[in-house]
Amino acid sequence: MALCSKATHALRYFLLRHLPTCQQMVAVMSESMERPLSLRERTMLRLHLWVCAWCAWYLEQLHLLRDTLRLRAEQMNEDDSAASRQLSNEACERIKRALANRP
Amino acid sequence: MSQEQRAKDPQAPDAERWVDEHGDYLYRYALFRLRDTAQAEDVVQETLLAALQAYANYMGRGSERTWLVGILKHKIMDHFRRASREAQAPAVEGEEFAHEEFFRPAGEWAEHWQTEYAPADWQASPAALVEQGEFWMIFQDCLGPLPERIASAFLLREVDGLTSEEICEVLSIKVNNLWVMLHRARLHLRHCLELNWFKRPGKV
Repeated sequence: MALCSKATHALRYFLLRHLPTCQQMVAVMSESMERPLSLRERTMLRLHLWVCAWCAWYLEQLHLLRDTLRLRAEQMNEDDSAASRQLSNEACERIKRALANRP
Repeated sequence: MSQEQRAKDPQAPDAERWVDEHGDYLYRYALFRLRDTAQAEDVVQETLLAALQAYANYMGRGSERTWLVGILKHKIMDHFRRASREAQAPAVEGEEFAHEEFFRPAGEWAEHWQTEYAPADWQASPAALVEQGEFWMIFQDCLGPLPERIASAFLLREVDGLTSEEICEVLSIKVNNLWVMLHRARLHLRHCLELNWFKRPGKV
C-alpha cells in the first residue's frame, strides 16, 4: 500500500515536471471553452488536471462562471425592485417625449 | 401623421404604455450588457422608436415583450459594432491583464502557479451565486478595469452564448485575438472574484 502510494507520488511528480506548465495549460483551458481541443491537447490537459488540483479548480471555475452568467441572464425575467436597475423617472419622461414627437 | 390623428387610429400602438410595462425590463437587459446607464437608456429609446416604425409587421402577433427584446438585441449589437469601429484599438488589448505575475518566473517550477495566486476550491453553485446581490456588484467591479472590448467580448460569449465568428464580426477582430482576449478576461475575473468574494474577509 505504502509502496503503491509512493509510486503514484513519483508518477505525479514526473508528469508535473514533464507536461506543459500551468501557465500554458490555463490558455488551453480557456480555448477549450471556445473550440474542440486536439487529441494531443486533450490528453495533455487530462493528465495535467490529474496531477494539479489548482488547474482542476481553475477549469471548474471557468464553467461555473459561464453557467452562473447564463442563469443570471435567464432570471432577468423576474421582477427586480432595486431602484438602481430601473429606468429613472427622467429617462421614462424623455423616452415618452421622444416617442410622441417622432417625425 | 399628427399626434391627434395617431390617437384616433385604432391600429396605432400605445408606445407610452410600452415604457411603463417593459421599460424597466428592457433597461435591465441592456444595462447588464452595456454596463453604462446612459448608453442603456439610449438603446432602450432607440428600440422603442424602431418598434413604432416596425409595428405594422408585428400587429400584436406573439408576446409584446419578446418582440421588443428581439429589437433590443439588434440595437445592442449595433451599439457594439459602432463602438468598435470608433475605438481604433490595437488588435490585441489588455497586455496588463496577461497576469504573468500569477506564475513562477524561474526555478524548478517555472511557469507553474505562484502559491498566493493559485486557484482555490470555491465550493459554489450557479443557483446559489445567482441569488447573491453582493456577488453581482463585485462582479461588475471586477469587470470594470478590463478594456471595454475585452469585457464586451466576454459578456457576448458567456451571457449571450454568441459563437466566436459572431463576436469577431460584431467587434471587428480576428478569432485568435478574440481567444487571447477571452483568456485574459477569465484569468483576471477569476482572480478578482476569488479575492473579493470567495475569500473575502469575514466570509462565513
